[in-house]
Amino acid sequence: MKIKNIVLKTTRVLAISGLLLSGACSSLLDVQPRQSIDSATALSSPEAVKSALAACYARLRNTRSYGRDLIAIPEALSDNGFATGKSGRLVSENINTPYTHFANWQVSYQSIIQLNLVIEATEKTVLTADLKKQVAGEAKFLRALFYFDLMRAFAYDPNAIVASNNKGGVPLILTGVLDIGQVTSPARASIDEVYTQIIKDLTEAIAALPARANIPHNATGGGAMALLSRVYLYKGDWANAAKFATDALASRQGTFASNASYVASWRASVNPESMFEVLFFNVSENIGVNESLQTTFTTLTALGNRTTTGGFGDLVPATELLAALESEPGDLRRNFYELGTAGRGTARIECTKFLAKNGTQNLDNIPLIRVSEMYLNRAEALAMSGNEAGALTDLNAIRTRAGLTARTGLTGAALMTEILKQRRLELAFEGHRWFDLKRRGADVVKAPATLAFSDYRVLANIPVREIQVNPNLVQNVGY
Amino acid sequence: MFLTLLFTFTYGQVLAQNKTITGKVTSKDDGTAIPGATVRVKNGTIGSQTDVEGKYKLEVPTDAKQLEISFIGMATKVVEIGNQSEINIALSAEDTDLNEVIVVGYSVQEKREVTGSVSSVKGSVIENLPVQSFDRALQGRAAGVLVQSANGVPGGAVNIRIRGTGSITAGNEPLYIVDGVQMNNSNNASFSSNNPLSFLNPNDIESIDIIKDAAAAAIYGAQAGNGVVLVTTKKGKAGNTKFNLNYYKGINEALPNLRVLNSQQYLQARYEAVQNRNPTVAANDVWSSVLGASRLDPTLLTEAQRAGIPTYDWQKEAFKTGMIDNYEVTLSGGSDKTTFYLSGSYTQQDAAVRNVDFNRFTTRLNVTHKVNNKLTIENSINISSSAQRGTFGGPNGGSFLGSPVFSSPLILPFNRIYNEDGSYFGTPASGGLAGILGQNIIMNSDYNIIKNTNNQVVGNIAANYKIMDGLLFRGFAGMDFRYFKGTNFSDPRTADGVGVNGRVREESGQNTNFITNYTLNYDKTFNTVHRITALAGAEYRSDIREDINLSGIGVPTYQFNTANSTATPEGTGGLWTGFKRAGIFGSLKYAYNKKYFASVIMRYDGSSRFGENFKYGIFPSISAGWAISEESFMKNITVINQLKLRGSYGQTGNDQIGNFDSRGLYGPSTGFTYNGLAGIVPTALGNSALKWEKNTTIDLGIDYALFEGRIAGSFGVYQRTNSDLLLNRSIPQTSGFSSITSNIGEVVNKGFEVEVTTVNVKYKDFSWKTSFNIALIENRVTKLNGADTVLPGDNSVRLNYPIGTNYTFKYAGVNPALGRAMWYDNNGNITYTPRDPADRVIIGSDFATSMGGLRNTFAYKGLELDVFFQYEFGRQALNSQGSFMSENGGRAFNSLADIYERRWLKPGDITDVPRPFDNRAELRSISYNSGSRFFEDASYIRLKQVSLSYMLPTNWISVVKLSSVRLYATALNLLTFTKWGGVDPEFVSSPNPGGDPVTGRNNNTGVVPQTRNYTFGIQIGF
Repeated sequence: MKIKNIVLKTTRVLAISGLLLSGACSSLLDVQPRQSIDSATALSSPEAVKSALAACYARLRNTRSYGRDLIAIPEALSDNGFATGKSGRLVSENINTPYTHFANWQVSYQSIIQLNLVIEATEKTVLTADLKKQVAGEAKFLRALFYFDLMRAFAYDPNAIVASNNKGGVPLILTGVLDIGQVTSPARASIDEVYTQIIKDLTEAIAALPARANIPHNATGGGAMALLSRVYLYKGDWANAAKFATDALASRQGTFASNASYVASWRASVNPESMFEVLFFNVSENIGVNESLQTTFTTLTALGNRTTTGGFGDLVPATELLAALESEPGDLRRNFYELGTAGRGTARIECTKFLAKNGTQNLDNIPLIRVSEMYLNRAEALAMSGNEAGALTDLNAIRTRAGLTARTGLTGAALMTEILKQRRLELAFEGHRWFDLKRRGADVVKAPATLAFSDYRVLANIPVREIQVNPNLVQNVGY
Repeated sequence: MFLTLLFTFTYGQVLAQNKTITGKVTSKDDGTAIPGATVRVKNGTIGSQTDVEGKYKLEVPTDAKQLEISFIGMATKVVEIGNQSEINIALSAEDTDLNEVIVVGYSVQEKREVTGSVSSVKGSVIENLPVQSFDRALQGRAAGVLVQSANGVPGGAVNIRIRGTGSITAGNEPLYIVDGVQMNNSNNASFSSNNPLSFLNPNDIESIDIIKDAAAAAIYGAQAGNGVVLVTTKKGKAGNTKFNLNYYKGINEALPNLRVLNSQQYLQARYEAVQNRNPTVAANDVWSSVLGASRLDPTLLTEAQRAGIPTYDWQKEAFKTGMIDNYEVTLSGGSDKTTFYLSGSYTQQDAAVRNVDFNRFTTRLNVTHKVNNKLTIENSINISSSAQRGTFGGPNGGSFLGSPVFSSPLILPFNRIYNEDGSYFGTPASGGLAGILGQNIIMNSDYNIIKNTNNQVVGNIAANYKIMDGLLFRGFAGMDFRYFKGTNFSDPRTADGVGVNGRVREESGQNTNFITNYTLNYDKTFNTVHRITALAGAEYRSDIREDINLSGIGVPTYQFNTANSTATPEGTGGLWTGFKRAGIFGSLKYAYNKKYFASVIMRYDGSSRFGENFKYGIFPSISAGWAISEESFMKNITVINQLKLRGSYGQTGNDQIGNFDSRGLYGPSTGFTYNGLAGIVPTALGNSALKWEKNTTIDLGIDYALFEGRIAGSFGVYQRTNSDLLLNRSIPQTSGFSSITSNIGEVVNKGFEVEVTTVNVKYKDFSWKTSFNIALIENRVTKLNGADTVLPGDNSVRLNYPIGTNYTFKYAGVNPALGRAMWYDNNGNITYTPRDPADRVIIGSDFATSMGGLRNTFAYKGLELDVFFQYEFGRQALNSQGSFMSENGGRAFNSLADIYERRWLKPGDITDVPRPFDNRAELRSISYNSGSRFFEDASYIRLKQVSLSYMLPTNWISVVKLSSVRLYATALNLLTFTKWGGVDPEFVSSPNPGGDPVTGRNNNTGVVPQTRNYTFGIQIGF
């Protein structure tokens, strides 16, 4: 009797609890995130699409992207830089120690996947025709830029390949990923396939975007033409390299500094020559005293002030670079180098292209493409395709602007040597030197050991974890 | 314990009324009355309980032979009735704990009937230890419970692993329940290592029960996959109000300093390093450059000239002796209707590192009120407020240039600490110190402010209603509310603050954790032999966390260190997250004549963290026990008092992952604003099929007591299988993400545990008691994703090896001809450039394979000596601080003298220390600090505790109207026996994406080591 009662009572309580739980099942355990939104429907408004695009620009500030590596490491790996060891950073890169190289893999693919999502959203989300064009154009410019940087780091450039070491380009992914079901294990595409896509994206960006904008912090048609000129130069397509350099100059995105305004162009917070310049604005974006470009290149906190020590000054111009700068008198570009402080050890001559130009330490904007590069691209492309007179004109534009005399009668190898020398001096400490040597198949001649172009260390190692996690991905030779 | 009172049977109506027996039950120890003791006729159904004054009155049949008197924590006593009508009984504290009642989940159970695996630690065992949270005190106390301090910061984090590590990337923390409230023990403060369990004064603890097997833990379902730690606090007893004052004071001893190079030795090492890198440069030029870079006179080219360079001892300034103070007052007592326990405490403790300390105030009130025979109300409330000053460089310390622990042995020794006038040398304005470690860490420590305050309220209210005899309803609601506030001020005069003219970071947050449950408990014995206990219940928990933080830069002067005085806001942030759980559960237990036991437990449990259709799971268990000693054939074997076999099988779950890990999300993330637009990024990849990690445990055990309990203990074996792991699985970064939590993989822990307590000597007033426990564990990863043999991105997780496997290049010593460091490739050949990962090999594991404790207690009259060792074996870990300290001039910081003295100097030298080389990597070689060179055996035995106490004789103190006076002294971490080369072999090494790049794990770089403490105290009762 009693037991029965108890069993009944217990069952009733259990049943009620059970009902309460199952009836209220979904709501009982309902906790919705408040600072995130469901990714499947996130990009369904114009504002959201624009915010997602903004974040892709922001990734260019990443230390593994242009925040430091893509500007500083090409100088460290090549013959331009000397690692002082003041913080110990970049010393290994400077002596080409295996596994110390570019590491822009992750940040590039994060951006690329998000750009794919943005591009897909422009198809699905209701946007005005103008906004759709603008967003898709900018996204394609950025996607091309990220793929181009991946290719420069991890693959050979189309015009200079060591066949026995060539494992192709990088994985080419053109769709977004939001759910575990969309995750793939891609193989490396061929070099040509990736270049074809880069060119396609840039061509479409040029078509979609207005030629110029007053501030160079977002992609413009002119910026896209400039990047395309560079891409063709790497590809060895001289005609197009010259054509898009001309188009880029015609876009009037960025102003070629005069002899009088040249030094000042590197002291302004926004370089007037910039065709595309990554913006650092909020103090929260400050990379800080360990890895910013300012701290990497100089110990100074202000021009000419050797009493206050700021950064580490980890990478300074190599003796050979300084010698090249001094090889002709009156070179204005000597103004971008001065003696640093002794606060971190021996004072050295340091590059001051990044020196708190907007008033805050370690928060400099980073010019990615300058007008001057278009003259150098075109000079090289014209010289390579036999138009030596045209090449000389462009070369002299750079030379005279820098305070050097115009050269006459240069032809052949001498002309090319001079163009490459001016390119080295003009774009020093802007992240070009290593890539310019690599794309031309040149050895890196420096002390204590020259790095032959055939050496496996010319290519970066794909992150080991990527090889482990993706069976279809082939590592570069030697790693 | 209150539960016991409620559950204790009220024995049936009196059947025959032939004889009345009265008497009083007292404690043999202090003569006080014992209310609530059970007095019953042995082998009969007649019984009663003592009243508030310990008195009882019992009508017994004339033929009744013996009375059995029992009370929790006391040895049960049987007395002959004979002709007596007044029987007074003095109970003594029991020697064996087999009669104990332990808390096993929504109910209590006599330990003799428990069929699962439970370890108990009495509060008295960990009393008066100068630790801030009870988890730290559990070290070595219970078999199979591994306790590792993450650091030596007072009030800092502790990791507990019960029966090994089951989960690779989800949480491995047990569920902590304090008086029924499930705690949130995540450290939300980012400026200091804060242990949320430090809210409780360990001296308020009555007992700690640790549920180790899945069968007993299954009642907690989805949260119990890593075991359950149940804490019961002290309750009042009816009777006169007892006052107890307690005070102890002590010191933290500074650690022995590491032996480092003096200025001349360092310069020599650095010279050799640079000269070896640049063999063609003339020696004098190298010397000038080394001296110049060291900011010394570059013309000091001879040894004699350099002999005058002074050496300064930075370690001596960074470490110091600290103080410990603890004050406590408790009151307890009550009437037969209402009992209470009230306590207040204040404690203060320094770390052995400059400017790191902890203080805490707590007060607690536990009240039980009997409304009538049916209804009892309970309430307990604990309020605590603690403040910590933290370490520079993160909660656990770390390899930060400005961190005193990391940098003090590494700063170049010729750097002064203070100027002649006593001001700090090497301010940023004056260019800092020479060398890579360019910050004056003493100045940093004195000028910067890193602190955290934690205010916490943990309370509960419960109502127990006796529906009928044997059937009890209990409603319970509790909360654990925590508010923290942290400040991190970088003084504008220090390196971190100078560039931005001072930075203030502030954060605050609250965590609101609410729990309620409703249970029906049924307990009835039929025909005197069939005992049925049943439990049914439902539970709901919600836990919401909200934080805000901000930072600003540019303060007017260094005296302004609050956010409102900053010129430029730098960043603002916030966090909102939460989870909910709900479940229903039931258990049915059957016991036949205290001989055979069987139990079935089931829980249906849900967690908001999982995919839409996978939120709920079922967690069942069965277990059985056989008390062989109760069998008639055993009755004649008098040496065996108790012998019980038990076995169980059960399943529990683990949901310790991020609150929204199953969802695909877009969110703002710091640093994604561009050109005035706030950026959003995909923050999480969706996995709507995410479900429980399942823990299945098979457990077998023997509990025994021999020779009147002189030898007692247990043996246990188990196999714990964690399957459908909530694995933070690496995926190709070409997907835009690095990892996703998915149910993949399996880990098996197998173990053997022994607990034994012996009374070695018991002669008159002298006794010597030994408690020993040991646990052997084998941990294996038995399944990973598909055919994977290694967890991509984490070399330490490998198929058929323990979690935490060390996988690196094997160091081959030094080439005697060249002085270069060598490694083995995967064919066993010597190489200078091992390939990653092709040449890596397994060299060991940082998973401890055995651990335990040994406690010896000697008592003579009022004098008691307690000596406790604790140990851990089989662990190999990376001594990363040691690696930094062995660069030998490779970079501009100091090194260990031992390494310097053993370095390779000339061809033919046989040594394991390579020649110094600038930047550590010879040309075409990897760094000489790479590979297995700094992996060391981290096994240790530690003399954890020595306590001596003296209870003053009652006749002395009764003169001054005191009931007890106890004097005591305790020494903690007195001695450590280890081969480990670092300061403290105990630090937590857990998988961490931000951890060491070689092992993928955290390391001991800059970790604040534990300290050696000496305390003296007095406890007065009246």
